[in-house]
Amino acid sequence: MLQIKDIHATIGGSEILRGLSLDVAAGEVHAIMGPNGSGKSTLAQVVAGHSDYEVTAGSVTYRDIDLLDLEPEERAREGIFLGFQYPVEIPGVNNAVLLRSALNAKRKHQGLDEIDAFEFLKLAKEKMAMLGMDPKFLNRGVNEGFSGGEKKRNEILQMAMLEPSLAILDETDSGLDIDALRAVAEGVNALRSPDRAIVLVTHYQRLLDYVEPDHVHVLSEGRIVRSGDKTLALELEDKGYDWVREAANG
Amino acid sequence: MKSPALEFDALAAAVSALPDSGLTAARQSALEELRRDGMPGVREEDWKYTDISALVDITNNWLAGGSTAASTAAEPAAGLEAHWITIANGRVDENSIEPLPEGVTVTRLANIRSDLAQLGRLGAFNTALLHDGLHISVASDAVLDKPIGLLLSDYAGGGACVSQVRVNIELAPGSRASFIEHQVSSGVGDLYANVAVNLAIGDNAGADYVRIQDRAPQHNQTGYHGIELGRDARLRQASFDLGGRLIRDDLVVNIAAPGAEAEFGGLYLVGDGQHVDNHTRVDHRVGPAVSRQEYRGILAGRARGVWNGKAIVHEGADGTDAEQSNHNLLLSQSAEINAKPELEIYADDVKCSHGTTVGQLDEMALYYLRTRGLDKSDARQMLTRAFALAIVGRSPIEQIEQLLLDAIDARLKGLLRETGA
Ligand SMILES: Nc1ncnc2c1ncn2[C@@H]1O[C@H](COP(=O)(O)OP(=O)(O)O)[C@@H](O)[C@H]1O
Ligand SMILES: [Mg+2]
Repeated sequence: MLQIKDIHATIGGSEILRGLSLDVAAGEVHAIMGPNGSGKSTLAQVVAGHSDYEVTAGSVTYRDIDLLDLEPEERAREGIFLGFQYPVEIPGVNNAVLLRSALNAKRKHQGLDEIDAFEFLKLAKEKMAMLGMDPKFLNRGVNEGFSGGEKKRNEILQMAMLEPSLAILDETDSGLDIDALRAVAEGVNALRSPDRAIVLVTHYQRLLDYVEPDHVHVLSEGRIVRSGDKTLALELEDKGYDWVREAANG
Repeated sequence: MKSPALEFDALAAAVSALPDSGLTAARQSALEELRRDGMPGVREEDWKYTDISALVDITNNWLAGGSTAASTAAEPAAGLEAHWITIANGRVDENSIEPLPEGVTVTRLANIRSDLAQLGRLGAFNTALLHDGLHISVASDAVLDKPIGLLLSDYAGGGACVSQVRVNIELAPGSRASFIEHQVSSGVGDLYANVAVNLAIGDNAGADYVRIQDRAPQHNQTGYHGIELGRDARLRQASFDLGGRLIRDDLVVNIAAPGAEAEFGGLYLVGDGQHVDNHTRVDHRVGPAVSRQEYRGILAGRARGVWNGKAIVHEGADGTDAEQSNHNLLLSQSAEINAKPELEIYADDVKCSHGTTVGQLDEMALYYLRTRGLDKSDARQMLTRAFALAIVGRSPIEQIEQLLLDAIDARLKGLLRETGA
């Protein structure tokens, strides 16, 4: 579904990704781990289409589409969703209005009619119940004054509504208490299906207790230095990132 | 710099040619005042950023042409439940006055011997050329169930056209009333409309006032709104500047009795070739009293905006709570705003605050919305609309909210198109 081939990406003139390759097939869950500053968010933003990042070499292909040619909104409508590490607060833009506009943008792209107000509300409330979110969050400004955990749940709500084919969740598990973590995991597991793929960027093994990954990769200094199955995450937890760095530098 | 000079002989002739009425004496003394003081020029501090010489030129052309534009049958905005009174090209439409709601009396200024207080620097100009005006009074303890609408409509068919509007409103103690002042115009000619409104809110009375300025893009307007608040009186006001070429409004609030509360503010949406100036002044003469104002502007192209908010807390006005803020969103590099809060405090026990910001659209928010599948233009519309909503939320007349939102959406679309989004 997603093929990243030897990409190099820079921001503000400094090279952050330095020859990164990754293959994600439909039906799979991948976990990407790595120390702070190793380039995890950069990778996520490059796939989502942030224009501050410049891809200087390599390619990113999604279902035979050259992703780097597409605007962020086109990528989203093709089924890519990024759960932000730092969700943006947008005062004055109603959460429900954003959800509905996002859903309708996708439906329009698929040649479907706009969702009617009643169906929308029903769907949103259903998804919010699954995530343990109070329906009154629908009428708040997008992430406006939300706590850290509420913002992350809101990202998962957007994902649950949009049902993307490829979801990249950037540290959605950070700073969550155990209830919130379970809710997020539930949202992710509900999305899991043979024709979807999920990439979990995470710092800790904790989330992986609830969402079992098929592959685990370790990112260091802009490259994937080690890949394995879920036992790699446990090993990392045990030995720490220094172990990977040493192994990489050989 | 050459100060804008009116052609006085032509002006005096035009004043004398106006039909003899209760206004005749007032016009003549205003003419003398105008001869003495002239029109405001950019050397005056309050007019530094707004040069009205083009409006003086229009006036001179109009005087030379000797034209008195025919009044037009203007239609109030559809779907607005209000008791509409029309003033078209400065002429009061007699037919629109009756039947009046209970508790309301309307007198035409031409029918009484009027000594008019001069409202602002352009007050004498207004009185000198005033054809007719309105005095609206609301009786003690009357509560109006529908807003009174003032439709100020001008048509400039060709050449130059100048109109003067004067409305005095008096709310007797304990009364409640709301007003919608809708300023519109059409026609390809040059237009300069000069509006003066005085609103006196009696003890314990409350006025809600919304001004919607939606002039044609080639037309100009100067306006003055003088507001007096009695004891425990309340004002809730909001203005929306959506159209026009050169627009200037002065809102002057006088708090001379304790317990008064004045909330006001405005939104100005300004595009290429437009200049919109909102000047406000609040005089806190006694305390305790509250004034809160918030203005917001969205400017595109080579738009020019001015906001000047002056709050003066006079000696002894203890217990004053004055708050003012002004926020601006510049959609283009060549748009400009001159924003200036001015606080003068001569009392001890006061709470005053002000804040002014000038910024661009939040790129991160824009990107976030796009990653959710929204078009760049829809995302920009959503963010600019959110910025404007804060003022719509302050508008005291709920029934017109949808109409305002539609008008704002349409105008924002135009501004964003200008910006090439
Ligand atoms: N705007 C920027 N300009 C320069 N360097 C940046 C910028 N943004 C991020 N970086 C750097 O890029 C590196 C990778 O950051 P990031 O992808 O956020 O790492 P991670 O998500 O793995 O913690 C860090 O060293 C960070 O300092
Ligand atoms: Mg990160």
